[in-house]
Amino acid sequence: MARTIPILLLVIAAVVFPLSVKGIFLDVGIERQLGTVQKIFYFHVPLAWIMMLFGVVCGIAAVIQLRRESRAAEAVAIAAGEMVILTGLGVLITGPIWGHASWGKAWTWDARQVSTGLLWLVFVAYVLVRRYGAAGSERLAAALAIFGAVDVPIIYYAVKIWKTTHPSNNVVGSLPPEMWAALWPALGALLATSIALVMVRARQERAEMDLDDAWVQAEDLGSAGAKGEAT
Amino acid sequence: MRGTGLTGALLGAPADDAAVDEYEAVEGLSRGDIECQRAHEAIAAKKTASDYQHIVWAYGVLWSLFAIYGVMLLRRGQRLRADVDSLRARIDKA
Repeated sequence: MARTIPILLLVIAAVVFPLSVKGIFLDVGIERQLGTVQKIFYFHVPLAWIMMLFGVVCGIAAVIQLRRESRAAEAVAIAAGEMVILTGLGVLITGPIWGHASWGKAWTWDARQVSTGLLWLVFVAYVLVRRYGAAGSERLAAALAIFGAVDVPIIYYAVKIWKTTHPSNNVVGSLPPEMWAALWPALGALLATSIALVMVRARQERAEMDLDDAWVQAEDLGSAGAKGEAT
Repeated sequence: MRGTGLTGALLGAPADDAAVDEYEAVEGLSRGDIECQRAHEAIAAKKTASDYQHIVWAYGVLWSLFAIYGVMLLRRGQRLRADVDSLRARIDKA
């Protein structure tokens, strides 16, 4: 079952992706003011949602990891943290491409841009600590993940609290039906792909942990056997 | 309808609005200047509606990122399998 779900999700994404491309480029017209560049919206916004979703997932998994010392939660946190980096990078590249075309400037130090950049950096720090930290650093990394998850509502409310050049949260709600019809498949394709990748990565991490334990046991057995032979 | 500056000149402010405080008549724009302005605006509008360069970059980067991550996971899986095989070999040897 754990193997089937990611494959199923990737198949769904493979089916939905061409539909989303058709919807975005053939069904929805060109936006009058922004022109063709507005079509970045259909992937930029879902990517940002997925980034925030996995930021929260990583934070919750880190809390469970700290409270229950759960390895499954630890594996989910690592996989979700990596997905935040991946989707965050996508958001931080597609956003400035859009900004460059519509505002004339790729980066305006806008509150939402800065808070998104901060989230990305926090999760990069999380993954680096997880990967290169000394023994026991997994607790520090979990704390970083929780800190990162706290940034998610800040990103959401940034356009409400501060005066920004970034479009407000109401833009998505006020979309005409044909734009929604193009947005849903794009979100579906990206969400299915990202969930599948997170599931695969979490399973790999869990296998790696078990394998490490198995190596330690094998070493112990080997050294015990060598001692037995010597005596 | 009320306009200011160049927009007002292009739209042609109605007589009633002429006295309204914010309206400022634009002087010095000849018919040639206005036509030149409109021609430039038409070029810009055409470029906005037909230039797909940004989209190609944005979508290319986006799906490349996912593809690169997928390849990384695949290679990690292969490394894990090799690790399992070497552990099995070690256990068999012991």
